[in-house]
Amino acid sequence: MQASLWNRCLRLLESEVPEQQFNTWVRPLQAVEENGVLRLFAPNRFVVDWLTLNLRSRIEELVDAVSDTETPQLQLEVGSRAAALAISHPEESQAPAAQAARTRRTKPRPTVIGGRLNPDFNFTTFVEGKSNQLARAAAVQVAENPGRAYNPLFIYGGVGLGKTHLMHAVANMIWTRNPDARLAYVHSERFVGDMVKALQHNTINEFKTAYRSLDALLIDDIQFFAGKERSQEEFFHTFNALLEGQQQVILTCDRYPKEVTGLEERLKSRFGWGLTVAIEPPELETCVAILMSKASATGVELPEDVAFFIAKRIRSNVRELEGALRRVVANSQFTGRPITTDFAKESLRDLLALQEKLVTVENIQKTVAEYYKIRVADLLSKRRSRSIARPRQVAMAMAKELTNHSLPEIGDAFGGRDHTTVLHACKRIKDLRESETRVREDYSNLLRTLTG
Amino acid sequence: MRGARVRWYARGPRTTPDVMSEIRQLPLGVRWRDSSTFATFVQGGNALVLEQLRALRGGPPVALWLWGAPASGRTHLLQASCAYAGELGRTAAYLSPAGRDAPGPEALDGCESLDLVCIDDVETLSGQAGWERALFNLYNGLQESGGHLLLAATQPPAGVRWALADLQSRMGGALTLQVKGLAEADKVQVLRLRARNRGLELPEETAAFLLRHFPRDLRSLCRLLDTLDSASLAAQRRLTVPFIKEAIEAARQQQPAG
Repeated sequence: MQASLWNRCLRLLESEVPEQQFNTWVRPLQAVEENGVLRLFAPNRFVVDWLTLNLRSRIEELVDAVSDTETPQLQLEVGSRAAALAISHPEESQAPAAQAARTRRTKPRPTVIGGRLNPDFNFTTFVEGKSNQLARAAAVQVAENPGRAYNPLFIYGGVGLGKTHLMHAVANMIWTRNPDARLAYVHSERFVGDMVKALQHNTINEFKTAYRSLDALLIDDIQFFAGKERSQEEFFHTFNALLEGQQQVILTCDRYPKEVTGLEERLKSRFGWGLTVAIEPPELETCVAILMSKASATGVELPEDVAFFIAKRIRSNVRELEGALRRVVANSQFTGRPITTDFAKESLRDLLALQEKLVTVENIQKTVAEYYKIRVADLLSKRRSRSIARPRQVAMAMAKELTNHSLPEIGDAFGGRDHTTVLHACKRIKDLRESETRVREDYSNLLRTLTG
Repeated sequence: MRGARVRWYARGPRTTPDVMSEIRQLPLGVRWRDSSTFATFVQGGNALVLEQLRALRGGPPVALWLWGAPASGRTHLLQASCAYAGELGRTAAYLSPAGRDAPGPEALDGCESLDLVCIDDVETLSGQAGWERALFNLYNGLQESGGHLLLAATQPPAGVRWALADLQSRMGGALTLQVKGLAEADKVQVLRLRARNRGLELPEETAAFLLRHFPRDLRSLCRLLDTLDSASLAAQRRLTVPFIKEAIEAARQQQPAG
């Protein structure tokens, strides 16, 4: 199903449509050509509307111009190629999607509804510490005796602490032990969205049947059910049906169930029927262990002292630890340098510095004046004694280096001087930085103060 | 090369004997279309960024966060990533929520079916409940499908406060890279490359003159070059220092005061 005709159109469109518009409206389209129809799938209504208004007729002209045989009819609709193929060629639909999936990840585990299970989220890769050992133990029990050990299993805790990881670990283990198990992993927002669609399309009965015939249902972040009464109602019935049939339910939430506002009381109380376990933020040692485990999983050697260095600075949650580790690893692989504490410090500089300080000419003048213990007014004055002129030249050179102001603007900001004076100052300081240690040191001290 | 060919024809009369020198050449309405690809990005200190952007397919991380000062080239890199995805036969979309025809959060609906979604000026979305929720769902959807999210901002993730804690932590897990501004020599290279794409020769000394007399961020410099491009075409003159002084003075006078 190669969209060769569409590819030819794309090349022409790319040369006609302004780049930004092309990337916003045309590139996301997915094409399917069949039976004399060129179907273009857009991710949403918004894209369809824009194209209909602005580009549809031109696309039709191009399709007409490039087609060798009879011009196919153009159909512009919301959807995706994968979904369309799944309907028209159920046996083929797996091909592109599965192929893409293969290149993306190692063997995703299928689920009946919702997202795929992440095979990397298993018990082996889950680093245990004081903060999460209870939750982990409960999860293992549930995975070994689904529907019987604790039902539902309710895992709660702050963001990025490993709730989803544990949930997937349970499902992966159930799946390994019983490859025929019917599993569903859905984010609560997706549950709500799917239910709304089912109501719109009059397929609510199919929706109910699908959810109620599962062996295990995993719903992530149920705090997003708050305030959605119809979804809660439906979920309540699904939940009861599954529990009665001894099918496993696992839920995660960012807080203790009783504390979720906008959630029906009867749901809250049922959530407490099984086991409710908390995951706390990891203590320093666990953070270190997590970093070392993640690093070794990617084949990177991370010395313990570096892991401690990173963990001490970023302890809020595991995702941020991962973000920091990614940055260090990317830098090390790029430069070929080994990971040391100094190297990590350097790599994380832009991550840890909250914001690059905004450097303005005024800021430079103030900093330079303070450094040399003179007044800003002196810098702007006509005075030409060495004790004033040198700092003035330093400040001008810094203004050129650290701001994008034009040289005439910089000259103006220093008491209405000419841009050639600025140029001269820059050249002078450049030479002095090479010949005089003192100037070199002053300059680098100031640079550090100004850029943080 | 389409634009270049148009330009070549437009400049045709200059190579013929000077019979038409009295008549001002009218610039054609067709302009060179600058293409933002990796090849047209002068990398300066951004080799790591380019390497990571090219590697953004298959496997984690879900999100890559680029940050840098205004006019440091973030938008170029996002567009280039879209174009690169297209070359590889992958689907991609670029969104600029800060733009004039700014879309609403519904613009993200269904985007989880794409291979790459690029969002510019993403920090402008923080604090807007609808957008935050949409971004959160997109992230989750892309994570499930194996797609990627490429974000650009003026600050690293820690400097942007999202009301949704779930989104905050996800953004904190992004591979974060700073886009570094270019040194002057590199800026000269950008200008000369851009000029060459328009069939113009920008002599070194003229480029140096521009950097000595005008704001030195690339956006302003490129805009200036566009003005000079039109002026040079109309006047049939090369970009010498005396000519550009004249042209810029003329352009200034044409602009309404204030």
